[in-house]
Parts: sequence; C-alpha cells; structure tokens
Amino acid sequence: MTIRIPRRTALLAGLAAPFITRTGFAQSETIRIGSLTPQTGAGGPYGPAMVKTISAVIDDVNAAGGVLGRKIELISEDDETNPDAGVRAARKLIDVDRVVAILGTWASAVTTAVAPLCWENKVMLFTVSGADSITRLPHQGYIIRTQPDTNLQSARCADFMLKQGSKKVGFLSAQSPFAVSTYEQQSALLKAGGAEPVGNVIYDGAKTSFRSEIDQILKQQPDALFLNGYQPDLVVLLRELYRAGYEGRRLTPAYAANDKLLAALPPEAVEGLNAYAPSPDISSPAYKTVQGIVRANPDPYSCQTFDHANLAILALAKSGIASGVGIHDAVRSVGNEAGTAIHGAAEGVKLLASGSDVNYAGASGPCKFTPIGDITGCKFRFDVVEKGKSRLLQLS
Amino acid sequence: MIGEVLQILVNGLLAGAQLAVPAIGFTTIYAVLRFPNFALAGHATIGAYAGVLANVAWGWPVGAALLAAFVVAGLVGVASDTLVLKRLRPSGSLTTAIGAAALGIVLENIIRFIFGNDPLGFDVPVLRDWRVSLGTAGGLRIGPQQVQAAAASIIVMAVLFAFLSFTSSGRMMRAVADNPTLAALKGIDADSVARRANFVAMGLAGFGGMLIGLDTSVDPLVGARVVLPVFAAAVLGGLGSIPGAVAGAFLIGIGEEMSTLVLDPSYRTAVGFVAILLVLTLRPRGLLGERAL
Repeated sequence: MTIRIPRRTALLAGLAAPFITRTGFAQSETIRIGSLTPQTGAGGPYGPAMVKTISAVIDDVNAAGGVLGRKIELISEDDETNPDAGVRAARKLIDVDRVVAILGTWASAVTTAVAPLCWENKVMLFTVSGADSITRLPHQGYIIRTQPDTNLQSARCADFMLKQGSKKVGFLSAQSPFAVSTYEQQSALLKAGGAEPVGNVIYDGAKTSFRSEIDQILKQQPDALFLNGYQPDLVVLLRELYRAGYEGRRLTPAYAANDKLLAALPPEAVEGLNAYAPSPDISSPAYKTVQGIVRANPDPYSCQTFDHANLAILALAKSGIASGVGIHDAVRSVGNEAGTAIHGAAEGVKLLASGSDVNYAGASGPCKFTPIGDITGCKFRFDVVEKGKSRLLQLS
Repeated sequence: MIGEVLQILVNGLLAGAQLAVPAIGFTTIYAVLRFPNFALAGHATIGAYAGVLANVAWGWPVGAALLAAFVVAGLVGVASDTLVLKRLRPSGSLTTAIGAAALGIVLENIIRFIFGNDPLGFDVPVLRDWRVSLGTAGGLRIGPQQVQAAAASIIVMAVLFAFLSFTSSGRMMRAVADNPTLAALKGIDADSVARRANFVAMGLAGFGGMLIGLDTSVDPLVGARVVLPVFAAAVLGGLGSIPGAVAGAFLIGIGEEMSTLVLDPSYRTAVGFVAILLVLTLRPRGLLGERAL
C-alpha cells in the first residue's frame, strides 16, 4: 500500500520545515544581549558611557571568536529614565529581539517595572539600581545587582555624618523607591549614634522650585542635610539652600553631584558639599580597561555595566547554554575563588572552553553575589567640594 | 503660622509670575489659531539655551540675553509652525495638538543632541535672600533674583498689552482671534497673522524658559517641566484669554505652594491636574471666559 500525501499537506510541510529545524541553524545565529540604559531623562548623563563599555566588551569577545561558537550582538534601547518607556523597550528586547540578558537598568523605578518581564521570560537582568526592594522581588535568581543596596550605603553615610559631628540631620528626598527606606535606615543608625533625625521632606523632582520644601525642613534647624536627589533637582536645591542662607553640612550621592553640576553652579553655592559614591575598584586591571574605553575617569555605572557584560558572557561560556537560563545557572560560579584570576571575558571564555575555572574580579569590585543577587561588598569614596572642585576626602 | 502662610504666598506669587509669561504665549496661539500648542515646551527650552549661549559664550548681559531668548524662540516658532503645524491645521485641532506635542519632543531632542543632558548655568552670581522680619510671626525670605524675574515678567506683559492694543499687528491678531471669517473679509491675511502670533507666543515661551533657567539651571527638560502648569493656568483662566492666563498662572503658582501646607510636597503636581479637572467640570470656559484677547 502506498501512502498518499496530498499536495496541500506537502506544501505545508515544506513551508514548516525551516521552523521545525530552526535549532539546526540557530547555531550560526548571533547571541543577542540587550542594554537598557538611560540615554535621556535624569539618568541621561550616564547612559552613553554605560553602553560604550558594554559594546567594548562584546567587540572584544567577538574579535576573539565569540562565545559557544557564536558571535554576540548588542541591541541597545533607551529607558528614558522612565518606567513606561523602560517597559516598552524591555518588551521589544525580549519579544522581538529575543535577548538572553538585559544589562544596565539605572533608575530603581525602571528596574522595578522591568524586572517581572525578565524573570517571567527567563531573561537575566543586570542592574545598577540601588533600591533594596529590587532584589527582594520574587525574581528566582534572574536579577544581579552590582550597586550596593541602601543598607550598605546608609550605614556608610550615617557613619560619615556622625563622624563629622552632626547632631540634627534633615532629609530632602526626591520621590523614588528608596526615599523612605534610606530615611528609615539612616534614622535608626543616627539615633543609635546619638544624633537626631529631624524629618524627611519628599519632593517632586519635576518641579522648578523647591522653596516651600526647603522652608519646611529648615524650620527644624538641622546642622546637616542629606540631599537624596538626582542631578536636575539637586542643582535647584543647592542654589536655593544657598539663597536661604543655610550654612550647615550637606551630603549627597555623587551621581547627583557630578562635575557637570559643579560647573552649572557658582562655587559659593557648592562650597563644602560632601558627596559619596560606592567606588569602583580603581586599583583593578578591569578598571584600567574601562578607563581606556571611556577615555576619562569612568563613573561607577560604566564600571558596573562593563562587569555586567563580562559576567553575562562568562556565564554563557561556563554553562554552555546560550540562554538566560544558562546565565542564571552559572553567573555565580564565574567568580570562583579557586579559579584563575581574570579581568575580562575574552580571556575567560578561552579558559572556560579548555575546562579551567575562572575567578572574575571586575572594575566595580570583586563581583561576588549573595543568593538574592546583591554584591557582598565594595569600596566607598567621600569627596568634598572646595572652590568649585571636587577633592577626595576618604576611600575605604 | 501666619508667617508661614505669608511666606508660601510670596513663593506662590513669584512662581506664578514665572508661569505667566509662557502661559500668555500658550493662550495667544490658542486664541489666534485655535489649538493647544504643546510644542511650547520645546520652544521654552530653546529660549533657555539661546539665553545661556548669549550670556555665557558671548558674554551678553542678562537683559540682552533675555531678548536673544525671545527672538530665537520666536523665529524657531515661526519656522516650526510654517514647516509642520500649518500643514496639520486643516485636519483639525486635535491632530494639530498631537502633532505639536510630537514637535515639542523633537525640538527637545535636537537640543539634547547638540548640548547634551547636563545642566548649564548662567554667568550670574547667586544672591542670598532678603530677610523681612514680621516680629512675632517669624520672618519672610524673598529672593532678589526671583523679584527681578517677576519684574521682567511684568514688563513683558505690559509691552504685550501695549502691542495688542496700539499696534496694527496687535489689532489684526485680536481681530482674527475674535472672528476669523470677518477678519478675512476685511482683508486681513490669516497667514501673516499666524506668523506674527507664533513669533510673539513662542518668543514669550523662550523668554519664560530663560527666566526659569536663570532661577534654576538649563537642561533639555526645562520646558517639559513647566508645560503642565502652563496648560493648567491657561485652561483655568479660559483658553484664549490673556488676562485669564495671567490670573490662572498666579492661581496655579499659589495653589501649588499652598498645597504643601496640607499635602506632602510630592503631590504638588496634582494641583495642576485638579485645577484642570475642576474647571472643565464646573466652568469649561475658564474663570474669565475665552476670547478676551
């Protein structure tokens, strides 16, 4: 008996063949990695350099032959420092581009919005956001964060202000997922150290004037202020604090008080301003590489995204699986203390292919992670502004 | 408490004076061309950058830089209207409004492309506030630079009223605003009036953008930050009414500051939305009614 195949079935089968055997020629396809960084909005000053370091790592690995026999392709999207835009861009990266990982989300609000898309689709998310809530999401291991959480930051800031001799500390915070948690953590630590937290005024950063907010906090007569804002609103806050005649101490995150902010304000308005930042490991070879990529002293975020790209690629090589699951399974084991010390993915991929273990130490720090995806430690630097220029006060 | 309320009132008046200039621009375009021109945000930003360039790069004094902000934003306004919005107007005011919002985003990003995201400051010293003692009720602080900005706003408003009342261009604009068909019958060239209205309105937006930049700093979002309160002020006063826009600007300015007495300051933006909602529900023509240009 002969089996008759109708022409129509044959036609359909012919059309379907490439899809059924898709895995067959998927080997020659590129592995796609997405970057989702702020090119515009409050984080706009950082996004371009962040993408530059990711792209440099990928170029380097591709030049050395790629990973798992495939080239890596970078797809870059702009999150506009805005959760709405971030989600739209993440959807495109996940659904259309089919990336294995998303690197570099910056604002905590964006990361929080994008994270569920990532873990539901088994796409690895590497972030530089600081809000504690992020790694406490039910992410099943799909989030890795290279930025110290607010606990680590709060402890160092409260300690710094206490050592300066501050007795009454006021807080002015831009609306953000960490505005409240930072205040609560620092309050507890300040109280324990014998100082009094005198209130937390949370403001809308999209306003052009904060005079009433400043009146509200200065009524408490603080001798130190913690300015928990972003660059565009911090410019206005510092100017208005000066106008209001405030003479006390001011501590602010360095991502808000960068050189560009100092250039935009007269020196007298920023004299004595303290800024803190988790510091990249400036003695590490990886940091020197980043310096070469951005041709300047890199900010912490471009160091972190450099590490994101390296960690993602090393994890792909280690697991042998070209997917988010592969990165998820292996990202913690590419920093194996027993392995060969490496500072870039290109050399690591070769070692892993030959069966050796690697110990990646990055530009931002040692890159060792807790079970929920937080780093276990990093250095902090405190700067002071003198005559319009920033000077390192301590690095530890 | 009285001192606190007075302080907030002062803050609100100064903020309102700052809002009034771009709000007049917004309402002027609505009066003459009958659509809400959200591209105002982009023009305010362009004015602020033109002012910074004039003041910092070329060393012009602030007064001359304000003039530069007005002229550059005005010229860009005429160009963008002729190239983009004029073609959309026959499709209705909603289409034009959406087109204008898109145009605003394009302008903002052209600025970003040229100047980057970082804030720029004017070459003017920051002055300490004046202190006024109120005896037992506490004290007031008033920013000299904000008073100067408010004075500049008032001068511009006076010049604008004179322009509308005493010049033939101004009278033509009012005629078109009042009754476009009748104006056309009288031989008034609608295109020419549209160009003049755009120059004046976007010039005002640029002027207002630079005033805000002087008070804070200049970045690509200067305009985007004020467009909601400006729109709220114009709606509140009655779209198309210049005295309405001025009154609306002061009400929004004072309302936003007053809200901090009872609400967390992070809800200040809500004042604008609530004002729009209330006016549209209770008195859609606005406080002073439309077409009082």
